[in-house]
Amino acid sequence: MNARFTPSRQEDLSLITGKGHFTADHNYPGMLHAYVIRSMHAHAHIKHLNLEAVRAYPGVRWVASAEDLKAMGAGNIVNPVTAKGKGGEEQVLALMPILAEGTVRFVGQPIAVVFAVSALCAQDAAELAEIEFEVLEASVDPEQTTLPSAVQLHGNAPRNVSVHFASGDAEPVNAAFAKATFTSQLRVLSQRLMGVPMEPRAVVAIHDEVAGITTVHTPHQGILGMRNFLALASGATPESLRIDANDVGGSFGLRGGPYSEHAALVLAARHLGCAVSWVGSRSEIFLSDWHGRALILNGEIALDVEGHILAIRFKDRVDAGAYNCMMSTFIGTRNLSITMGGVYQIPALFMESEVVYTNTTPVSAYRGAGRPDIAYAIERLVDFAAHQHGYDPVALRRKNFIAESAFPYKTANGSTIDTCLSEKLLDRALAISHYATFEERRAQSLSQGKFRGIGLSTFLEASGAGTAPKDQAWGEFNANGNLYVYGVTGPSGQGHSTSFASIIEKALGWPADRVRYEAGKANQKLLGNGTGGSRSLYGAGSAILAMCHQMLETIKPHAAKTMGVDIAQVHFENGVWLANGSTTTTAQIIDALKNEDKTSLSALGEATSGATYPNGCHVAEVEIDPATGETHLIHYYAVDDLGQVISPQLVRGQVHGGVVQGWGQAFCEQVVYDSQGQLLTGSFMDYAMPRAGCVPHLTNETYEVRTQLNLLGSKGVGESGCTGSLPALANAVMSALRPYGINQMDMPFTAPKIWAALQKAKA
Amino acid sequence: MSQISLNINGTTQKLEVEDRALLADVLRDKLKLTGTHVGCDTSQCGCCTLLMNGDTVKSCTVLAVQANGAQITTIEGLASGANLHPIQVAFSNCHALQCGFCTPGMIMATAGLLANNPQPTDAQIHEGLAGNLCRCTGYINIVESVKQAASAMQEKQA
Amino acid sequence: MYSFSYQKAQSVDQACAALTRSDASRLLSGGMTLIPSLKHRLIQVDELIDITGLPGWRDIQVKGHHLWVGAGATHQSVSRHPDVRKFSIGLAELAGMIGDPQVRARGTLGGSVANNDPAADYPAAVLGLNATIKTQKREIAADDFFLGMFSTALASDEIIEGLSFTKPLQSAYAKFRHAATGYAMAGVFVAQISKDQWRVAVTGATDCVCRWDEAEAAAGSVPKNLRFVHDSVLDDIHAPSTYRAHLVNTLYAQAVSRLASI
Repeated sequence: MNARFTPSRQEDLSLITGKGHFTADHNYPGMLHAYVIRSMHAHAHIKHLNLEAVRAYPGVRWVASAEDLKAMGAGNIVNPVTAKGKGGEEQVLALMPILAEGTVRFVGQPIAVVFAVSALCAQDAAELAEIEFEVLEASVDPEQTTLPSAVQLHGNAPRNVSVHFASGDAEPVNAAFAKATFTSQLRVLSQRLMGVPMEPRAVVAIHDEVAGITTVHTPHQGILGMRNFLALASGATPESLRIDANDVGGSFGLRGGPYSEHAALVLAARHLGCAVSWVGSRSEIFLSDWHGRALILNGEIALDVEGHILAIRFKDRVDAGAYNCMMSTFIGTRNLSITMGGVYQIPALFMESEVVYTNTTPVSAYRGAGRPDIAYAIERLVDFAAHQHGYDPVALRRKNFIAESAFPYKTANGSTIDTCLSEKLLDRALAISHYATFEERRAQSLSQGKFRGIGLSTFLEASGAGTAPKDQAWGEFNANGNLYVYGVTGPSGQGHSTSFASIIEKALGWPADRVRYEAGKANQKLLGNGTGGSRSLYGAGSAILAMCHQMLETIKPHAAKTMGVDIAQVHFENGVWLANGSTTTTAQIIDALKNEDKTSLSALGEATSGATYPNGCHVAEVEIDPATGETHLIHYYAVDDLGQVISPQLVRGQVHGGVVQGWGQAFCEQVVYDSQGQLLTGSFMDYAMPRAGCVPHLTNETYEVRTQLNLLGSKGVGESGCTGSLPALANAVMSALRPYGINQMDMPFTAPKIWAALQKAKA
Repeated sequence: MSQISLNINGTTQKLEVEDRALLADVLRDKLKLTGTHVGCDTSQCGCCTLLMNGDTVKSCTVLAVQANGAQITTIEGLASGANLHPIQVAFSNCHALQCGFCTPGMIMATAGLLANNPQPTDAQIHEGLAGNLCRCTGYINIVESVKQAASAMQEKQA
Repeated sequence: MYSFSYQKAQSVDQACAALTRSDASRLLSGGMTLIPSLKHRLIQVDELIDITGLPGWRDIQVKGHHLWVGAGATHQSVSRHPDVRKFSIGLAELAGMIGDPQVRARGTLGGSVANNDPAADYPAAVLGLNATIKTQKREIAADDFFLGMFSTALASDEIIEGLSFTKPLQSAYAKFRHAATGYAMAGVFVAQISKDQWRVAVTGATDCVCRWDEAEAAAGSVPKNLRFVHDSVLDDIHAPSTYRAHLVNTLYAQAVSRLASI
């Protein structure tokens, strides 16, 4: 090690030296490799499936079809969240089988899995499969899929509707619109996206006959969730599954549960008695990772004569894809309603959403899972209304912020926001972005023939409420002198270990570099939430803080002994133990213990932490070159209230990542299907990704307003970058284009699209 | 099948490989050097970047047989013994990695960039990393770390 | 990818013999296009003949008014070579704009030219400078070489040895990168060949690199109503044909103003 080099995060050393353990890095002796045979049709009946030639190919050991897996106990892809319809109806569910049974409903849907001595051999063999399809009409457009003319995907879902949900109260909303002085309406599209974590989905499974346990290596967002869902999908008992906690190459919401390959590989590992591996190619990932977003949000706003918002209502269309998988219902119901009033004091709110089926890849959670989308819709609507009715967009917002005195504020549709000091964040963001002098810069750009725009968003985020009854953390000292802490939440790049170590250092006075956080060991019986909904830091962190408090009690007798005083005279303050004028540290106490005494020190911490309300004000300044339609982001400013910040550098990194993903949605990313349901953006050749330099300057600050909603006082940050950036970037582009008669445009704001809009406006 | 000889991180390895085997797969599967990652199949993500005869190349788009006789440096060979390379140190200091999957390729691309242009401007850094995707960091800290590495390497020279 | 056998040719004759031996044999240079195609099983080959070991394959040499670039010269070597920059800034800068650094370290001039991808950059320089493509059999003028999408005048057993360029008075290349691939959504190469002769080559916007007569007649100026018109301007999910045609106009103007700043 270089003299004096301390990695900035515990996680770094292995990752910067190529010693990480990602799923595809596992190589067991005798391991077989899988290749998935997938549908090339968006909607078809499988008339005939003949896999004999595949089975007979040299090197092939097993070929699994739907019958094989079902006979072994396989279930369906999990759909953990359902919602009641607006009239109290049960949701119609169409669950996705692990392997297609008779009918395929999206291009890429798995039909069979080939296990062979090498991945190439399995792929060679797969080409010999004989599949006779009866191709059916495909319904691809989420708005047209409910028309009588559209083909019905599932027998139990008329109009291809899964659920028609509502939140809030329509009557006062309608009354407000009736009496409003000003109303505006704006339909926005949050286009279908790919999450694209850089590590392709992969599964390696190996079964221990003696112990009766299958170990599964896979990128995931928490062992409990993956294990429990995988049990349902594969038919294995949860106790017989052990999800390994290895390095995870990004996740963004897509890895909360198993896919077909997970279930198939667990069953194959047991059937074949050897390790099995499947590593997706990026092209397969494009077809089969759950997609994200795919929402159409139709918003209306009613203002009184003074510009106070009287009501907001939304009519939303949620594209679930071909089946109900994982989180699409959650996105289309809870997440589109919980923050639908944004940061504004609005007496009446109502939304309804229809979750519908199309012959496309199923949609699930992608960073923000509906909240960036609704923030986008509200902030565009507010901006649009401001310009339509002659208000300054900043003034209109200020007029309508929830007053500080109103907190905790219960929204008209039942969310209780603990605190959200929008005015303060707005003022700070306006100051650091030199908002007041923007017009001078606009004029200067114009003199060079460029169109400059500035846009802001004052947004509310709602982090995950958690599905587990509580979060638990277990801490124990090890003979090697380290403190081991066990929890459920698993990192996918966030640096949890480092943040948790920081919490412990402060709470126990124990050095951070002697903390080892282990996400998920199978023999733990810990409860807790996985990683998702931006809650790991405060959820697991609060449990860890509680564990530290318990641990202090456990250490106390030893502290008394070390200092030679009565236990009543000992107390812990500001990171050290004090008694009668003498001090000692936790490290000194522990290091002095005999091993058997050391390892007997353990503590369980528990905390129940619900949703929190991170919020912020982001400002984006852009310059558009009308000659090409290209947008250059000049500077991005983010002021975020994330509650108590534990690791400033990690928080900044999360905001960077979220903002750039927002940039991607705003300027270049889009999943495109043709009318037959063929994916036209099936690789990086057609799906454009943000690259270095797209956001060249980002100034981020935090404005800490501790929350009382959890022990740690922190709010989530993981998804805030997306929630703030979609509206800030869109409003900036509109600001640049509005002088030329363009008032609305849907993302992505590609160069050709902007150029065409300018041409049309000129004509 | 072909017999090839590769000099990897200073050691010559003689291997028998299928003609269709990719350099990335041979390194990962035969030589267990799993630091080089495979992130896509259209040669655009750069996770598989390494140095071949001093140039940055995407090892997923090079057949192992094409690399016969070449000098290859992978992420595992960047540090000298226990001493990390200034680029590795800078990446950690600047929090230029989160999940770490793109990181080996990003670091190797940086090594190639700085070898050819020891004091790149921001625009040159963006160009130099144009072949590498990252989904976690937003690139902002990566660009910072390239600049920090460049300074550290200049200091070392002086 | 499907299985194949690989051999490294030591001479042009050896490579030629392998080509004529089988329909399913292909030449391998940088591999930046061929290897991804093989990985996706879009093509199947029996034999891959690596020609990067041929003598003089990577030579770059200026002799008086001529520049010789061996078919195996990488984009990187062309863009960095000081003699190429002095010879034709347009050519050097174009080579430095191809793909990304990793692609430039492997991709070759010969490979790019033989493939004739409608969105590739090199064909614009080759046509714009009226280069001569030399094969083991003959010399082909650029004007006669690019026939259509992925189609050239090369016979199935013909191997490019290199290209010979004649020094222009001045040259420049302007490109608009495709947001996903980094190829040219449109690219315009402008060269003043002699006092009265200008050449303007357009790539990316149509089904094959082509010359733009009206721009050439403008002789280095940018007339107000100069518009690129062509039967086969490309139209796809990324950009309509109207946009690509417009880009050509814009890029021509950019290339011309680049000339002024050199």
